[in-house]
Amino acid sequence: MNIHVVSVVVSVAIFIFVIELVRRRRLTFKYAITWLLISAGAIFFAVFYRLIFACAALLGFELPSNFIFFTLFCVFITLSLLLTVFLCQQNNRNDVMAQKIALLEFELKELKKKLKVE
Amino acid sequence: MNTSNNKILVIVPAFNECGNIGRTVEEIRKIAKNVDVLVIDDGSLDATAKEASSAGGMVVSLPFNLGIGAAVQTGFQYAQRYQYDIAVQIDGDGQHDAAFIDKILEPILCQEADMVVGSRFLAKTGGFQSSFSRRMGINFFVHLINALTGVKINDPTSGFRAYNKKMIVLFSEYYPHDFPEPEAIVVTQQAGGRIVEVPVVMRKREAGSSSIRYFKTLYYMVKVTLAILLHMIRHKENKP
Repeated sequence: MNIHVVSVVVSVAIFIFVIELVRRRRLTFKYAITWLLISAGAIFFAVFYRLIFACAALLGFELPSNFIFFTLFCVFITLSLLLTVFLCQQNNRNDVMAQKIALLEFELKELKKKLKVE
Repeated sequence: MNTSNNKILVIVPAFNECGNIGRTVEEIRKIAKNVDVLVIDDGSLDATAKEASSAGGMVVSLPFNLGIGAAVQTGFQYAQRYQYDIAVQIDGDGQHDAAFIDKILEPILCQEADMVVGSRFLAKTGGFQSSFSRRMGINFFVHLINALTGVKINDPTSGFRAYNKKMIVLFSEYYPHDFPEPEAIVVTQQAGGRIVEVPVVMRKREAGSSSIRYFKTLYYMVKVTLAILLHMIRHKENKP
């Protein structure tokens, strides 16, 4: 089996895996779309791998593999930065919710106390 | 002092302060008669909430540990919800002497300040002055804040503070989270708040350990410095 076939198979497998995750509702569309686009891109370049050689030469990379690693590196850095932003947002919401719950719990306790007295 | 027209809330953030918190609450209630004491139990694993409650404080318990900033902010949110005019912040570890509450309220009652910081270093008041290494760190923040805002606060890490309604509204919306004291000064100054410092005497903590331990001092300094610098370049839209 040559590298060409392997890369096509792997990228198709990832694509199918993402779709399966959406189907099982483990991933929502909002977050699946990035992964679908990335794996679709991977399939495309796995099939038309000569395009990678052309791009690499055009941009001045000595080896096509360097170009691939560089591109993947950039993609994953961007992705993890976006995930951190998302994490941050969730963290903030979590804090706000915890504060609200604590205040509501306090009010509920006070109300119950008042009811008991009356 | 005549505080009868003002609704005053004393906010006491506490995380695992069993052994200190009861005494702190009792002391506040004994000395400052016409204030409400609200303890924010920041997800403590010990009996902090129970101890505070049996000492006569109102207790709001956060479901898990959010950190001092978010805990204090919960107090501001409460103050805003129940329309308090003034909020006082006192640490739950017994370091702050409730006898000085009157002193730190004074500039607010006279409408000379929006925020008052109780300072260990303002006058030669004696009392607990912190360790040498920590004083160096504090000094660094004095100069940093002075350079950035032009305001000179001698004890920027002090958590013994008072705020008027303007600050309650501002901070219930946005309050720095991790190690908030120095950053809150910058936030206040940028929002056009007037900050006044008054001398207070602090004690050494009675039980347990401070949330800022020795080996963490440097980390704390770097983190707070970055937080303050990042705050300076924040998008103006997000600012209250």
